[in-house]
Amino acid sequence: MLNKNQLLKFFGYKLIRFLILMIAVSIFSFVLLDLSPIDPVNAYLKQAAVSEAQRQILQEYFGTNVPLTTKIFHWLIDLFQGNLGTSLIYRAPVVDIILEKASASIVLMAISWLLSGIIGFLLGVVAGKNKGSWIDKAVKVYCYAIQSAPSFWVGMLILMVFAVYLGWFPIGFGVPIGVRSTDVTFAEWATRLVLPTLTLSLVGLAPIAMYTRNELIQVLSSDFVLFAKSRGEKGWNLVKNHGIRNILLPAITLQFLSFSELFGGAVLVEQVFSYPGIGQTAVAAGLQNDVPLFLGIVLFSAIFVFVGNLLADLSYYLIDPRIKEKEFND
Amino acid sequence: MDKKIIIGAIVVVLVVIIGAFAFMGGSHDSDPTHLTVAAHSNIKEPEAGFNPLTGWGCGHQNYNPLVQSCLFKTDKNGSIVPDLATGYSVSGDGKTWTVNVRDDVKFSDNSTFDAEDVAFTFNTAKQTESELDLTNIANVTAVNNTCVKFNLVEARSTFIYDLRYLGIVPSDSYDNSTYGENPIGTGPYVLDHWDKGQQAIFKINDNYYGDKPYFTQITLLFPEEATWLELAKSGEIDVVPVATSALNQTVDGYQFIEKSAGRAQGVSLPYLNDTGIMYNGTMKVGNNVTADKSIREALNVGINRQTMCDEIFAGHASPEFTGVDTRTYANPDAKVADGDVSKAKQILKDGGWTDTDGDGIVEKNGLKASFDLYYPPDYLDRQSMSTVFAEQAKELGIEVKLVGADWDTIYKNLYSSAALMQQTSPDPYKSIYQQYHSKEMDGFYMNPNLYNNSASDRLMDEAMHTSDLNQADSLWSQSALVNGGGWGPAGDAPWVWIANYDYNYFIKDGIDIGKQPDGLGNDVLINICDWSRTNSTA
Repeated sequence: MLNKNQLLKFFGYKLIRFLILMIAVSIFSFVLLDLSPIDPVNAYLKQAAVSEAQRQILQEYFGTNVPLTTKIFHWLIDLFQGNLGTSLIYRAPVVDIILEKASASIVLMAISWLLSGIIGFLLGVVAGKNKGSWIDKAVKVYCYAIQSAPSFWVGMLILMVFAVYLGWFPIGFGVPIGVRSTDVTFAEWATRLVLPTLTLSLVGLAPIAMYTRNELIQVLSSDFVLFAKSRGEKGWNLVKNHGIRNILLPAITLQFLSFSELFGGAVLVEQVFSYPGIGQTAVAAGLQNDVPLFLGIVLFSAIFVFVGNLLADLSYYLIDPRIKEKEFND
Repeated sequence: MDKKIIIGAIVVVLVVIIGAFAFMGGSHDSDPTHLTVAAHSNIKEPEAGFNPLTGWGCGHQNYNPLVQSCLFKTDKNGSIVPDLATGYSVSGDGKTWTVNVRDDVKFSDNSTFDAEDVAFTFNTAKQTESELDLTNIANVTAVNNTCVKFNLVEARSTFIYDLRYLGIVPSDSYDNSTYGENPIGTGPYVLDHWDKGQQAIFKINDNYYGDKPYFTQITLLFPEEATWLELAKSGEIDVVPVATSALNQTVDGYQFIEKSAGRAQGVSLPYLNDTGIMYNGTMKVGNNVTADKSIREALNVGINRQTMCDEIFAGHASPEFTGVDTRTYANPDAKVADGDVSKAKQILKDGGWTDTDGDGIVEKNGLKASFDLYYPPDYLDRQSMSTVFAEQAKELGIEVKLVGADWDTIYKNLYSSAALMQQTSPDPYKSIYQQYHSKEMDGFYMNPNLYNNSASDRLMDEAMHTSDLNQADSLWSQSALVNGGGWGPAGDAPWVWIANYDYNYFIKDGIDIGKQPDGLGNDVLINICDWSRTNSTA
């Protein structure tokens, strides 16, 4: 049963790992950013004509002449005080920007993550159970096609079909044109989510469907299934009783691991649908060498992925009776 | 049975989703006095907000800040005329500018505008770390409510452009951290709502002192260039810029409007000889091919600019010779007649360049007439221009090797290789002084080919320091061609300017944008107060 000590130990262990991860990630990204060949002043100016004096003011502002160690030291000191600093290009606190942008992305990512997980799993089960049938072939063709297509291309295709030719959905943006976001109705807001969510889900369900299909085929060819079959179990009941639990675990792991891919996919899809999210902001921060903002987003995404993995660990506990009865051995 | 359930469920879900949303997409704003504008990528969404002190409306690109108004504005003929100002005078030494301002203007928050606000705006903008360069201001003081005095570090006739483009903010309520989101100004509009990353909605400013605009609401969108054409086709937007790839397209219900912009594109040619020195240990300096005047002259005379305008820009551009052809300070004498291949070949021959090994490329003392041309490949127009330029140069016997690269790489090679550059500013300090005045090597992209000519330098310095703006124009013009030298193609020919690429827009039928000044097409909303919609069905 649920052991408090074990649970505390589990979370304590996770917390220490989390802290080490955060520090490693931030120092690593700092060094990478410092190695970046992009000159932040030039990136900010975009070939604007300014005098030598103004350029020096900007170099000071972007801290180009400050040694790396000093920069890391100050940043870490601030971080321990809970201060992520001020974005150089947005000129606003990094925390505010991330919260604002992330809230738009989270909805998008959460819905597509759920949809791709559920639909992908179902498709995989159906395909695996009916191995070799037309439905299996259809799922396979779809998955291979979508796996080999870049998500921004899928996004543009969907945009062209549903928004441009059919005109069913708006062409992009997170709010209707000319309407204050505070006056937007739920339906108006939801219509704008459909196409980006659809794109992310369609792309995201392919790996989970293929994986589930293979796992199920493997399970179905195992000895215990042969035994069950010999007892007269067949069809859907066989899959339900002996297949699902066995394939759920790897499927859930895979789906939680895809948190990181979700982030990457969202960057491209947000770009295509002009959807204002954390992805677009990350691109802007990276290209303009906005160090505080970029590191803030890196930390945010590290937390995001870490939480994803943590949730996967917890779900094992709930799903797999073997783990529930043993200890957390992580 | 199970299979049927699952398939059935999927079909139901799809039908519900599609059905539910099929009826919602088409609704859009039908108020004729509302205007929706997709901003050109030059007018980026201001990350730091609609704050002139961090570059909104001024700085790199100049455009109508909508929310704020400036001391001066540009009238429909292109002249700079008073807006918030009523007049100005410049002291004999050019170092003190006195500007008188209106006394009947209120900010959108009902506070009163006076000279103190002007002084505050300029003094604060000078200290703000942004693309807006006001380092030449020593200090600004309000003499009384309607008079401001600007003390400059050194005399500069082009200061009028700073006065023209910097929007005025209220000194009483200005707060650096919140102003960008809640801008208060004296312009024709107020910011009603801003959805970051998407759109800004402006409503009419009831306190505006000028003629009230016809459009009561403007929605400014900041889309990616790749989506412009789709946006126009969707019909939801009134003004959409046209990308280079869509120049041959038409969209039903839209007029194709072409505006000259003085957006000059051309090739900078390294001016110094390669003597083996390096700048900063990393940048090679000089190029023995382009340092030879006959090569630069031959290119300027031999290429066919009109052909390039037709091929690259589908005719939506005009030949450009000096980089400032469309400005009041242009010098027509500094141009050359182009497209003359035989004359170009003669120039090369006279300069000692002949094809000795029969490979079609000329040589001089064993040196092959060949150089690298760097260009940024993410701009379709500049990529095409580089390609066509290389083809045309080959006809003359000069080999141009194309190198597509990111800006940082381009900057590192500017002193030793040709580069495809662009300049748009109407301000001669930027378009002439910083472009051609000699400088110490600094690795910066201004005067990228290290051009220097002391006679031309002197004229530019005089033009900067005079207090008479007409005289300044004349001096700028002379610096293009002085004693057979100068930065024009008829002089030292340090550049091959090629084309002046117009700004093009799809504007919905029935919208009348009035008469706009020439050469400022990047700012299509410059005269927004004169716009109207004639057919209200749109």
